Amino acid sequence: MRRLFKFPWRNARDIRADVDDELRFHIEERTSALVAAGLAPDAARTQALREFGDVDDARRYINALDRGTESAARRKDYLGELRQDLAYAFRKLRSSPAFTITAIVTLALGIGANAAIFSVVNGVLLRPLPYPHAEQLLKVYQANRSAGNLHASVSPLDLDDWRAQRTVFADIGGFWYSDGASGVDLTGDGDPQRLSAVFITPGFFTTLQVGAAEGRLPREDELVRGGPDKVVVLSNGFWQRQYGSSPSIVGTHITLEGAPYQVIGVMPRNFAYPSDRADVYIPYSTITDDMIPRIRPVRILDAVARMKPGVTMAAAGAELNTIAARLARQYPEDAAWGETTLVPLRDDITGNVRAALLVLLGAVAFVLLIGCVNVASLLLARAGVREREIAVRAALGAGRGRIVRQLLTESIVLSLAGGAAGVAVARAGVGALLALSAGQLPRGADVHIDGTVLLFALALSLATGLLFGLVPAVHASRAALHGTLREAGRGVAGGARRARSVLVIAEVALAVVLVVGAGLMGRSFIAIMKVDPGFRPDHLIAVNFTISTTRRPTGWQQYYHAVIDKARTVPGVISAGATKDAPFRGNGERDIFGPPGYVVKAGEDPPTARMMHVSDGYFQTIGARIAAGREFSPTDRAGGPHLILVNESFAKHWFPGEAAVGKSIDMAPAAINGKSEPAQIIGVVADIRQAAMDEPARETIYENNMVNGRVKVALVARTAGEPLAMARKLREAVWSVDKEQPITSIETFDDVVSESMARPRLLTVLLGAFGVLGLILGALGIYGVLAYLVSERQREIGVRIALGAPARSVLWMFVGRGLALTAAGLAIGLGGALMLTRLMSGVLYGVQATDPLTFAAVGSILLAVAALASWIPARRAAHVDPVEALRSD
Amino acid sequence: MPREPMDLMQGTLDVLILRTLAWGPMHGYAATRWIRERTGGTIDIEDAPLYKALHRLEHSGCVSAEWGISENNRRARYYKLTARGRQQLKAEESAWRRYAAAVFAVLEPVS
Repeated sequence: MRRLFKFPWRNARDIRADVDDELRFHIEERTSALVAAGLAPDAARTQALREFGDVDDARRYINALDRGTESAARRKDYLGELRQDLAYAFRKLRSSPAFTITAIVTLALGIGANAAIFSVVNGVLLRPLPYPHAEQLLKVYQANRSAGNLHASVSPLDLDDWRAQRTVFADIGGFWYSDGASGVDLTGDGDPQRLSAVFITPGFFTTLQVGAAEGRLPREDELVRGGPDKVVVLSNGFWQRQYGSSPSIVGTHITLEGAPYQVIGVMPRNFAYPSDRADVYIPYSTITDDMIPRIRPVRILDAVARMKPGVTMAAAGAELNTIAARLARQYPEDAAWGETTLVPLRDDITGNVRAALLVLLGAVAFVLLIGCVNVASLLLARAGVREREIAVRAALGAGRGRIVRQLLTESIVLSLAGGAAGVAVARAGVGALLALSAGQLPRGADVHIDGTVLLFALALSLATGLLFGLVPAVHASRAALHGTLREAGRGVAGGARRARSVLVIAEVALAVVLVVGAGLMGRSFIAIMKVDPGFRPDHLIAVNFTISTTRRPTGWQQYYHAVIDKARTVPGVISAGATKDAPFRGNGERDIFGPPGYVVKAGEDPPTARMMHVSDGYFQTIGARIAAGREFSPTDRAGGPHLILVNESFAKHWFPGEAAVGKSIDMAPAAINGKSEPAQIIGVVADIRQAAMDEPARETIYENNMVNGRVKVALVARTAGEPLAMARKLREAVWSVDKEQPITSIETFDDVVSESMARPRLLTVLLGAFGVLGLILGALGIYGVLAYLVSERQREIGVRIALGAPARSVLWMFVGRGLALTAAGLAIGLGGALMLTRLMSGVLYGVQATDPLTFAAVGSILLAVAALASWIPARRAAHVDPVEALRSD
Repeated sequence: MPREPMDLMQGTLDVLILRTLAWGPMHGYAATRWIRERTGGTIDIEDAPLYKALHRLEHSGCVSAEWGISENNRRARYYKLTARGRQQLKAEESAWRRYAAAVFAVLEPVS
């Protein structure tokens, strides 16, 4: 039999009292029975006690036993109720499938989107790097405070000194890696290939504390000049691609840059530092002085360091600064470089996506909050329908806590179902995110749905269930308990109406914040799209390759020009030229120069500018505008005067208000090597965005590749037709000059530009989607509350209309109500957005986080949507037939 | 008390109480008196072990207890056999009967 009434649970003291009562009752009954049989009271009591036996022992025994009985019963009761609640919840949810499906889909989208973004945040920002004690790892930069450069690369010689003098560091290592620039040619194994190489110094692998997956890593003596053999370690990806993951490659020799290298090991699959695009790890010591001079001013290495256990970053920084200051005193060329900057390695790797990811996480949380509000408001509407059922339960003795628990069980079943579906959504979402981010996401390989993400989804589901379930549940239970069965109806309806109004206001406010965020991102994206990159990316294609100085120690500049000339003869090519760094594919070299009249002062570095190396015809080919003078011509050859071009930023800074063309600057300011090297400006190029669309051009000097050449080549061609169709012809043109020339890649500039826009585009798409979702959910909320209001006040409306109220005034009554709610939400939301979107400023371009236009537009859009959402139910109200309305009920 | 007879005692007490309560709900005092009168003093049972047995049976779900009012208007704890208790009684009763029959079979004089 199911108990309708239940005595409150007994605690230990209640049990003790009960046991005492029971035993006392026995003794007293027995005593009075014996007295009745003729014994004296004292004797009777004594006999009763004797017959009973050991009272204290029995009391102890029974007390202990009853406590166990009580808690077992309590547990059983609770489980029973839970089962009852669950069965009831399932029955209830099945009986209203429209509500259930709406709620589950809303929650699945909300929780799924959150889990997807969280799994990216978890993989990229939260999970430790895949190295032992990754928290000890730092990225180290040289700092030149006077030049405002705190994150400079490190000189190989300084790095050696740091390593030798370190005491609080377990190890320090360095590497030179530059996407597209640091590479070696692989020959003698199928088609010649350009491999992406990481040139490493001693200490690189030992700092990271990684081991080889196959074979071994280089020994210290193999990483310094004059080592016994040239060795190479393969990345796992390259090993797989080139050698089908065959372990037998270890120990053999391959030909890199025309020289034999022994393959000594293969890196583990998850090792992706500094990039997952690296193919091989080669000792930096194989780079000779004529390639990159080994002198202190050549700051080229990235440095990583591992602190000894227990050492703080402050202590580590102090030691490196001490060493750097010592070196600055010791070597004049280090005079300005007496400091260092330390960054935790993980922050260094993920730094530039952190802001974007956190903005996304915030936005997606808002989507879920709006979803919660919507489901809560659905539940409130249902509570109105269910008030009778709840009142009956209350009347039958269910306590308030019991009713709340029952209703909460229902919402948690809902939210868990939503969460389970959400995990499926998240799986799809993560795949889509990774595809959309197109290699722009560091640590992309670490992103997947793991235990942490599942736990997050579970916690989120439970929290969600409580969040959207609690208010309606408490509401329903309060109303049910306070009224009689009849009155309960009105009590709930009035309270629910108020609660739903509050929910709608909250929903609008949340939607406003989301839509403002999306709006700002959209404006920012448009601003980036509108940026004039300084060149025309359409019908432009680049063939990237590197000229091997090993194979071609002399005459490579003639070869370089022969290739460009050959490309110009290809049918369909309008013009062709070459550069070392194509736009978005490299940022040139940073070098010092002396402006006119520059005199070197002690302890002060000469100014620097970006140095780019271009061929004749390059600017015409990429569609850059020559603002003054001319670009290089085929007749500007070595042996003639040193000629350069500069960009407009450079010209404006150093020659304000005068013509730069014709002026000379010193390419080798006297202080460094004693002889000046004047170069004459022959032209000024309109600024070209070199690093990224959203990064303004820096002051740049263009050198003639024919005079001061570089082996890294991006051969660019403007084509008459579809540029990609020319890829094969251009490759054949290169190979017709040298059939052994390895080609790194061929790409159209439409693709390059599109890739450089991947991140803002991804953010815009996602925030836009979240914003639209928020808007729809908000509109549904307003619609729902008004539709409910109209159906509830049918009679009243009927009376008004019967008494002659014009339809228009009824219409406006409801639209006005909707707009009033919206206005309240709007005010709160705009205030919140004003505070929250400041956090976005890191991902915005060309628009302020407080952009008034966006805020105004969002306000109008929301009001328009709200007006529409209110107008539909309001129109129904206005068309109420008074006769029908009064007859019903 | 040695272990073996105690176990036997416990089992015996349990079956006695179950049988007693099969007559209907009663409080502890009534149950112990009933058993005492029924055994006619043959077995000298103290009340304490009987109470322990009552609570033990409550713990194992064979009986349920509820406070009620006694014949002379006092608050008393009433025990009632549960479905499980009824089953248990049936099982133990038949076990006891088989046991007794076996003992009697041995004791029966050879004729």
